Amino acid sequence: MNFLDPRAKGRFLRHRGARVGLVLVGLIVVFAVVAPLFAGQDPLHSDFAAGATVDGLPAAPSGVHWLGTDRLYRDVFARLAYGARISLLVGVVATVIATIIGAAVGIVAGYYEGSDGVRIPWVSVTGLVLGLVTLVLGHPQAAMILVFVSAAIGLAGVLQSIEPLRAGPRLDADTALMRLVDVGLSFPFLLLVMALGAALDKTSVTTIFLTLGLTGWLGTARIVRAKTLQVRNLEFVLAARALGRPTLAILLRHILPNVAGPLVVLATASVAQMILAESALSYLGAGIAPPTPTWGHMLYEGQDNYTAAPWLLAAPAISILVTVLGFNLVGEGLRDALDPRAQ
Amino acid sequence: MRLASFADIRTLDPAVTSDALAAEALELMFAGLVDFDAQGKVAPDLAERFEVSPDGTDYRFVLRAGLVFHDGSPLTADDVKRSIERSLAPDTPNSFASFYDRIAGFEDFTTGKAPHLDGVTVGGRFVVSIRLREPDATFLSALAMHSLRPVCPSAGDKYDPTWLPCGAGPFKLVAGNWDRGRSLLLLRHDGYHRPGEPYLDAVQWSYGMNGVTQRFKLEAGELDGTRELSLADTARFMRDPRWKALGDYDSARSISAEGMNVEMPPFDNVEVRRAVANALDRDQYRLLRAANLEALTRVLSRSFRDEDPAFPGQKHDLAAALEHMARAGFPYDPTTGQGGYPKTIVYVVYKQGLIELTGQLLQQQLARIGLRVELKVVSYSTYLSLTKRRGTTTMAPEGWQEDFPDASDFFDPLFASSAINDEDSNNTSFYRNPVLDELLVRGRKELDPATRKRMYDEADAMVCADAPWALTYAYRSWTLHQPYVRGFVPHPVWSEYVAKSWLDRAATAVASRSGVLRDVRYAAGGAPP
Repeated sequence: MNFLDPRAKGRFLRHRGARVGLVLVGLIVVFAVVAPLFAGQDPLHSDFAAGATVDGLPAAPSGVHWLGTDRLYRDVFARLAYGARISLLVGVVATVIATIIGAAVGIVAGYYEGSDGVRIPWVSVTGLVLGLVTLVLGHPQAAMILVFVSAAIGLAGVLQSIEPLRAGPRLDADTALMRLVDVGLSFPFLLLVMALGAALDKTSVTTIFLTLGLTGWLGTARIVRAKTLQVRNLEFVLAARALGRPTLAILLRHILPNVAGPLVVLATASVAQMILAESALSYLGAGIAPPTPTWGHMLYEGQDNYTAAPWLLAAPAISILVTVLGFNLVGEGLRDALDPRAQ
Repeated sequence: MRLASFADIRTLDPAVTSDALAAEALELMFAGLVDFDAQGKVAPDLAERFEVSPDGTDYRFVLRAGLVFHDGSPLTADDVKRSIERSLAPDTPNSFASFYDRIAGFEDFTTGKAPHLDGVTVGGRFVVSIRLREPDATFLSALAMHSLRPVCPSAGDKYDPTWLPCGAGPFKLVAGNWDRGRSLLLLRHDGYHRPGEPYLDAVQWSYGMNGVTQRFKLEAGELDGTRELSLADTARFMRDPRWKALGDYDSARSISAEGMNVEMPPFDNVEVRRAVANALDRDQYRLLRAANLEALTRVLSRSFRDEDPAFPGQKHDLAAALEHMARAGFPYDPTTGQGGYPKTIVYVVYKQGLIELTGQLLQQQLARIGLRVELKVVSYSTYLSLTKRRGTTTMAPEGWQEDFPDASDFFDPLFASSAINDEDSNNTSFYRNPVLDELLVRGRKELDPATRKRMYDEADAMVCADAPWALTYAYRSWTLHQPYVRGFVPHPVWSEYVAKSWLDRAATAVASRSGVLRDVRYAAGGAPP
């Protein structure tokens, strides 16, 4: 907690909301890690003997099923616990992906803003075109890999000044990347995620990571770019450039640490956003396919019978609420702690 | 009358529609030469009368005078012939075409060798005759279905998906009243041939509305009936005698199964299909919705056949299922979890409560014999498109609601090889069995009831043994209407048949939650509403 300011840690820990948020997140993490170990029930197993009433309705909470059973007579507590793992995993991994992409795009765009452009390696151009062709031919996963590899090669070529990789058309990196961000932000987030999810055909935990991560970086990139524009003209950056330090080293050692504060705040809030997005996707049927327990899908399955079995809605709804609230409070605490105006 | 469904309809052209939901609207929009009466018997409708030759091959229909289509044009014998030819034309993706293959000249016409269907002739402005090449015990019933019903001259003589559906039924569709995916509004056809009918001014369906929403809308007086209540709501309403009095069990018969595509691995191996049929515990399926389901171990449910313990249907037998898996070359050891079919089977399922649940139950039950199933959840329209197209779906939930009360209706459209179509196949398992085909052909010609019964029992046993479907349950809907809905009697063939219904709002309170309960108390007490 010392992103340029050692006093930030103290401010964070004194922040009441942040402390509540930390406790809530801690509880959920402990629940996700520990609860499945002592739940004593298989979240995928239907208990036709003790899990159903005579009407065929789900059994109410009892000593056997602490939070009752669902419509397929599976233990709600066990499903909630496993669902917590998936929600946290999706939230964190998707956020890591989105943050890495957003930071890379934002820093590159901000650093090269106003320059006469950078050369995009032919290897990358070819890869991107091939990616598009592959997408049109109906292989979205292969297309995604091609685009990623091309982007990585391009970035390495540009930043490391690797000559064989640098040859190619000149492009205004800032304008190109920011227009891409504009286009991405012009779509409603969930719509974009659902479209990408539909293109991937099958939905698994991995594809949800990718779809959320690949669509969730746009806002981060814009904010990081703005911060980079401030940092790049600071004296130590200009000095490093004058001394001939490689671009990649400047970006990683001088720019990145100075944009890390807002990046961490964004990432924390993003975890909550990703968990909500995953829940919404699962609720809408575009998320992880059943029977994998996810909170969103538990909400969807519970809605038909919540008048007779309210725990089917209450359990996942409260879990989502607590988790999202926890991460948002931590994010707000971080923002207040790192914001110089708070001093 | 305001109705709703969780699902959606793709088309309202009677020539190509095959799903039960669209059939509710088709029955109101299109009238046929004959239709099923309140007892489920074939009776004249657009035809004033019909005559059948002694050998059962010639049918002569005399139309009523003064019939008009929704667009005001007169309905004549020429329109009847044109509509039949349009429906059976080679370019029309009619999944019911095989029902009419006994009409003389069917083969030549449907393969494009003949410009017209020889067996259908116009004998005057109001007389049309249909000649069969051989007797067909089911022909009149098939004719009472929607497929060949007369369509307006605007339909032309070729199927066109952009055509605005228009017929001569009691209700009509006006341009702009079908908001695809959301709602359908049909208005009263003033030129309908039955004097005074229909009684309703309009019928409206809302699509894509889940069961809980339907319940709340019913209680808020925004729906006049529902047949898709959740398990909890069904249990609640059935427990309360005041509500129960407003409900009716649908007498239409429907069956459900887990369908397997016999052209795609692993279900191209009959032993794997038999393993699935043995692996399913149908009592567990039934428990998921005990008020509506009964376990199904043969194609012809108890509504058709008395219980027969000796019948070799599909029974739950885990040991036998494992034995079939071993015979198929995929032995599985349940204690170690080793073996089984090495690949994952994709099961295409649409978003609907019970179907999604049974899909997950199927996963659990097949895992016990070494078959790993992955659910792919799609919309109902996508589900229909995928399952009806050849080579696209390995496994999917299947269901069938009878078109007419005859055993053949559960075999000819589902399991006959003539019902296979590359793009819009009704035989979604793509199952072919020449012996069954031959048996079904003889069954259609056979006019003796006892002999027919024996033949269709034999067909049933054959399908159970070959297992293109692993049968699961028979479903009876329970329909709940507002107390002011009058004249609704469950039809033996058509679901949600409201053609004879009317709303008596003047005599009953607004259907708020308390209002409904008050009205029901009146009804239960025998006092006039």
